[in-house]
Amino acid sequence: MEDMMKDKVEQLVDYIMKNCLWQFHSRAWDREKQNEGILTKTMQILCEEPVEKETPTDKVYWVDAVCLADAFKKRYSWLATLDKEEIKLLMQGLKERMDYLTITGSLNAELTDPHY
Amino acid sequence: MPYHKFKCSECIPEREKHAVIKGPGEDLTSALPLGYLNTIPGSISERGCAYCGAKHVIGTPMKDVIHMSHGPVGCTYDTWQTKRYISDNDNFQLKYTYATDMKEKHIIFGAEKLLKQNIIEAFKAFPNIKRMTLYQTCASALIGDDINAIAAEVMEEMPEVDIFVCNSPGFGGPSQSGGHHKINIAWINQKVGNVEPKITSDYVINYVGEYNIQGDQEVMVDYFRRMGIQVLSTFTGNGSYDDLRSMHRAHLNVLECARSAEYICNELRVRYGTPRLDIDGFGFEALGTSLRKVGLFFGIEDRAQAIIDEETARWKPEMDWYKERLQGKKVCLWPGGSKLWHWAHAIREDMGVNVVSVYTKFGHQGDMEKGIARCEEGALAIDDPNELEALEALEMLKPDIIFTGKRPGEVAKKLRVPYLNAHAYHNGPYKGFEGWVRFARDIYNAIYSPIHQLSFVDISKDEIPAQTSFLTQKMISDVNLSEEVTASKELREYTGNYDTITALRNKTYPDFPSEKKLSAV
Repeated sequence: MEDMMKDKVEQLVDYIMKNCLWQFHSRAWDREKQNEGILTKTMQILCEEPVEKETPTDKVYWVDAVCLADAFKKRYSWLATLDKEEIKLLMQGLKERMDYLTITGSLNAELTDPHY
Repeated sequence: MPYHKFKCSECIPEREKHAVIKGPGEDLTSALPLGYLNTIPGSISERGCAYCGAKHVIGTPMKDVIHMSHGPVGCTYDTWQTKRYISDNDNFQLKYTYATDMKEKHIIFGAEKLLKQNIIEAFKAFPNIKRMTLYQTCASALIGDDINAIAAEVMEEMPEVDIFVCNSPGFGGPSQSGGHHKINIAWINQKVGNVEPKITSDYVINYVGEYNIQGDQEVMVDYFRRMGIQVLSTFTGNGSYDDLRSMHRAHLNVLECARSAEYICNELRVRYGTPRLDIDGFGFEALGTSLRKVGLFFGIEDRAQAIIDEETARWKPEMDWYKERLQGKKVCLWPGGSKLWHWAHAIREDMGVNVVSVYTKFGHQGDMEKGIARCEEGALAIDDPNELEALEALEMLKPDIIFTGKRPGEVAKKLRVPYLNAHAYHNGPYKGFEGWVRFARDIYNAIYSPIHQLSFVDISKDEIPAQTSFLTQKMISDVNLSEEVTASKELREYTGNYDTITALRNKTYPDFPSEKKLSAV
């Protein structure tokens, strides 16, 4: 079960890495906000939960989340077989993996530069 | 770490950490070269200087401006005309280049008087132009000429003119990227917020990090206008100086080249609360998603979708004609910075080519993260390569084509590798749906050029194939294709016009009634 979930997370990671740009903002604090904002909203869309999009910042996260959720649903038919709890677990795993690849495990020395 | 050591650089051991091969199971936490560091002494870099990055890349595409360099004439001459960033005002910014022509005596006695005289003369020579960008160079920076003070003096004496000062001498960073940073910050500090624009739409964007190479900006602005979006400013291709002073009034910053222009987007986000949306203007799916995102932001997704559907129906059959013929071709994607990630995945998806290597001259580690993430296993990623390393890589990888600048491109030709100009393009624009097909056509023509085939013949030993000397691209490319493909009624070669830009300049756009009261300040 754990291996299956890991494999699914890797498929989602692969899509994001090949098709998205939002995960690569230039500083660690910015990447944390991007990953949190967009992946949380993606999870909410997939789970048909309400999504905040009133402020410009929330709206721009939501825009990326809508496109990501649509792409996931279109490409990964197995997503439709998961219940909401499983989707939440999957998206939590995705968030942790993305944080590792782009922030905590990243070799990019500029991430901690205090200036832009 | 899967570092790749070039044989030619064994005498420069520090170079080892500037190249990696993405092996099986490797990800960004194990395969990432160093980047944006000072070039190692002894390595003949292909980089530009920080002055070039500020003036040539970002400043000069502004169209209604005199771009004056305070320094020797060579600085301005060598950063003139090579990037084909056209404009809709008869290419004023490309026609002329300006310098104060500093000589040795000015280094000793100072050149501030010379600068003031040149500024005034330039404005008098072009009385319809009232805006100027003024660039520091190594020579004027080292002697400490106060170009801000001179600019202020002139603006006091000539109140109708406005001058922007960019203090980015050539030594102001490891590469041209240092200049990108400096001019971004200088522009927002000095100029943004100085002009209040006329708002004509409910939906207002700045289009940032777009330089109108062969008309790229005009293609993208056409899509935005068809959606009823006001493009308040473009930073900076085909952009107007005064429009760029009003960037603070946009609702959204749509960012294309994050390498050269994320700084101003980040500052606009912090200072004015304007969000940043990174997009890809290249590739059918990537561009479609990008337009959709902008549409979603403003609640006009249907308008974006209508454009995507229309453009895809018109151009996809032509893209697929080339994809059938480019399948599996090996590409070295060696541009300056952002195109390594803009193109890496899109050319594989839309054209079927295989990116065997990416390199960047001035990209940061963040650009390599994006580029490597979008490549398949086995790709060789090189930061700030020198010419010998590039030659060694070409001999090792044996690509079918290389996308790079004209200097390394001409070198590649000597190894019988055709090249396309990744910076200024061959037959652009390459952005947009039609532009992407034009890129595929250029790739096809380069790989299957009958003239190029002759370069593989070694006249010192090979027999000259006189009996088969008449060839066309199609005779070469279609040899191994199935009849289903060659006889397809769906697929077709590019059918667009030679000039795709002029018509856009006279186009009228649908009138979308405003739902809000518009401000006209």
